[in-house]
Amino acid sequence: MKKTLWTILSILLVLAFGLTACGPAATPTPEKIVETVTVEKTVVQVVTATPQPKAKKLEIFHWWTAPGEREAADAMFTAFKAKYPDIQIVENPVPGGGGVSHRVVLQSRLIAGIPPDTFQTLGGAELKNYVDSGALQPLDDLWAELDYAKVIPGPLAKAVTVNGHPYVVPLNMHIQNILYYNLKLFNELGLSAPTKFDELLNACAKIKQAKPEMTCLALGSKEKWGDAFVFDSILLEQGGPEYYVKLYKGEIDVANDPVFRASLEKFKQLIPYINSDHASLTWDQSVALVGSGKAAMVIMGTWAIGAFVKGSNWQPGVDFGAVTFPQVPERILLFHPDCYGLATNAPDPEETLNWLRVVASPELQVPTDVTQGGLFARTDIDPKQFPDPIRQELQSYVRDHPDKLILDQHGSILPASAQPIYWDIISAFLAQPDVEKAIKETANMMTTYGVKEASGWYQWP
Amino acid sequence: MEFRKGKQDKIKRALLDQLVFLFPMLLFLIILYGTLFWTIYVSFTDWKNINPNYQIVGLKWYKFLVSQPRFWVDVQNNLKWLILGVLPTTILAIFIAYLLELSPLPGVESYVRTLLLYPVAMSFIVTGTIWSWMYEPDRGVINTLLRQLGLNSRLPFTTDPQTATYWLILIFIWQYLGFAVIIVQSSIRTSELQEMVEAATVDGAGKLRILFSIVLPNIRSGLLVLVSLLLISSLKVFDIVYIVTFGGPGIQTDVLALNMWITTFQQRLFSAGAGLGVIIFLLAFILVIPYTLYAFRRWFE
Repeated sequence: MKKTLWTILSILLVLAFGLTACGPAATPTPEKIVETVTVEKTVVQVVTATPQPKAKKLEIFHWWTAPGEREAADAMFTAFKAKYPDIQIVENPVPGGGGVSHRVVLQSRLIAGIPPDTFQTLGGAELKNYVDSGALQPLDDLWAELDYAKVIPGPLAKAVTVNGHPYVVPLNMHIQNILYYNLKLFNELGLSAPTKFDELLNACAKIKQAKPEMTCLALGSKEKWGDAFVFDSILLEQGGPEYYVKLYKGEIDVANDPVFRASLEKFKQLIPYINSDHASLTWDQSVALVGSGKAAMVIMGTWAIGAFVKGSNWQPGVDFGAVTFPQVPERILLFHPDCYGLATNAPDPEETLNWLRVVASPELQVPTDVTQGGLFARTDIDPKQFPDPIRQELQSYVRDHPDKLILDQHGSILPASAQPIYWDIISAFLAQPDVEKAIKETANMMTTYGVKEASGWYQWP
Repeated sequence: MEFRKGKQDKIKRALLDQLVFLFPMLLFLIILYGTLFWTIYVSFTDWKNINPNYQIVGLKWYKFLVSQPRFWVDVQNNLKWLILGVLPTTILAIFIAYLLELSPLPGVESYVRTLLLYPVAMSFIVTGTIWSWMYEPDRGVINTLLRQLGLNSRLPFTTDPQTATYWLILIFIWQYLGFAVIIVQSSIRTSELQEMVEAATVDGAGKLRILFSIVLPNIRSGLLVLVSLLLISSLKVFDIVYIVTFGGPGIQTDVLALNMWITTFQQRLFSAGAGLGVIIFLLAFILVIPYTLYAFRRWFE
């Protein structure tokens, strides 16, 4: 009996070692699990430390639980604690990238009528969804008090304004269309950073010639949105900004549209230069492909900077460069914000308004956004607060050209009912590039989910 | 008076005893059938977005679902899961269980059985994550090992749109095999069957002959349990697909349960999601009930 027990134990041990050894370095799941455990601990400690019966509290729902994001969430709460030390923060973080699991739990609580005080949301269609359901209260008074519309770019204010009322306070802007490239490789081959599609193809041809083993454009499409980012950049170049907005507002007759067709054809040309295992990779693994020298470029949002610096120990301007892609016909930045609002029937409305005041302040935005990877929502913060030249330059560009911002389609212009379908269409196209099928399905999607009616609220410029 | 009081007490006691057993049963019925009928009801309403809308719209969302090509991809994939998830697992389990019973290497049997049972002790989330690492075409364990053996292996596994579902089903088989072996083995080990096997051995029957003519016809009850469980598990499969491919590439590995999750929580079409739930339930009903009846009838013959 004892002997069997020992064998079982030793087999278990061997298995455990084997399992930990199997994983590639960039898979974040185990860390996430550890993360939640520690979070729960801290909450318990806070509760036991303050036994007063009517302590001021604030319940927050957010999805910043992954490594790197967790630190940003802590920076937010530190900034809040500095201003309101007597308010307890009760957070309900749910592990899961991009807030997918978070939204499931949040929706159940909203349906059940027990909302948290405040919760994280993107702008645009996702926000409109909450507003249409009556889950959020308008914040006209708070915005007037803070004069917030004056200090953030106009397109950002429009992205969080529904039926003329602002409903949330945005704290950052993520820029989607950035091309990161291996700077040392580009110098070695005498290439310059591509700023339009043809240059990208040329660079890929040259890279393939010089380094046949290397992938030109890294892509992770497991979460489905990675490929839509690449396609977005092509659409933006082929059609220009007005076309881009019109397309996602459902105002383009996709079935007979030459631009959409041409964009798909271009995308098809790019497929041979993309890593063939993209369907099994997440976005951070695709960035790690560039960081490990297996791929030359990746199109990803501003959050990839942290992944390069922390994940691959690469320095911006030394090991990797970044350009807005495309810059033809003009340099447009596709963005989406993270925001917080005041939930309808929030148990602690006063504390929530105080929280939103802090969210709007530079004291919270500077440490949080520098850590998390976005740009500041406020344009009156010195861009030099960012440690990396990439975001310094982007923030200056936003300050000088606020009208060049367009809401991206990452949960933002397309309604929620159409969004996953669109991702699936693009992802299916990438797996089996059939232009006719993709056009037909996109046209169907636009009518089936009434995109024109649902997205009509969005105004640009 | 004393006597009557005692009788009343007795009746009370009896009622209480019954309630003690009735209460969990009622709770079970309310939770199971209450939510079941609630889901059926919601599937006939017009609930989109977070705020419930209980206006009855009839079959609107069912019509919507069957008009989507995605739905039919799901049905096809679920059929693949049903056939390839159940049949190979059952057949392999029978052979392995019989092999273990023969135990050609005495002493090894209990270790092998334990090893086989490990996967089922782990959650699909864990095994799914491990397998998605192993399946990675570029850096995964399987291809790396094959390359070290000198093969220039570039097996695409789950990134190949044509075969991705089959690689997912392989995970399911791996995970349920040990469990299936245990069930088959326990039904082989009944004393009656053992005696019959012994008698056959004395009569000089071969091992394979014993398997097909004596063991198989006498483990029907075990197989009934096993196949029913496997049918239901493979029909409701969600976690493996969610973790390993999330339905990709494109929607090639999508299944009804994942579609239900995406429809409900990403698209926020709650009524359509409920409709998918009802369809999965009906499929389980249609498949499992006739099978059970058929198996029972043959069993009692």
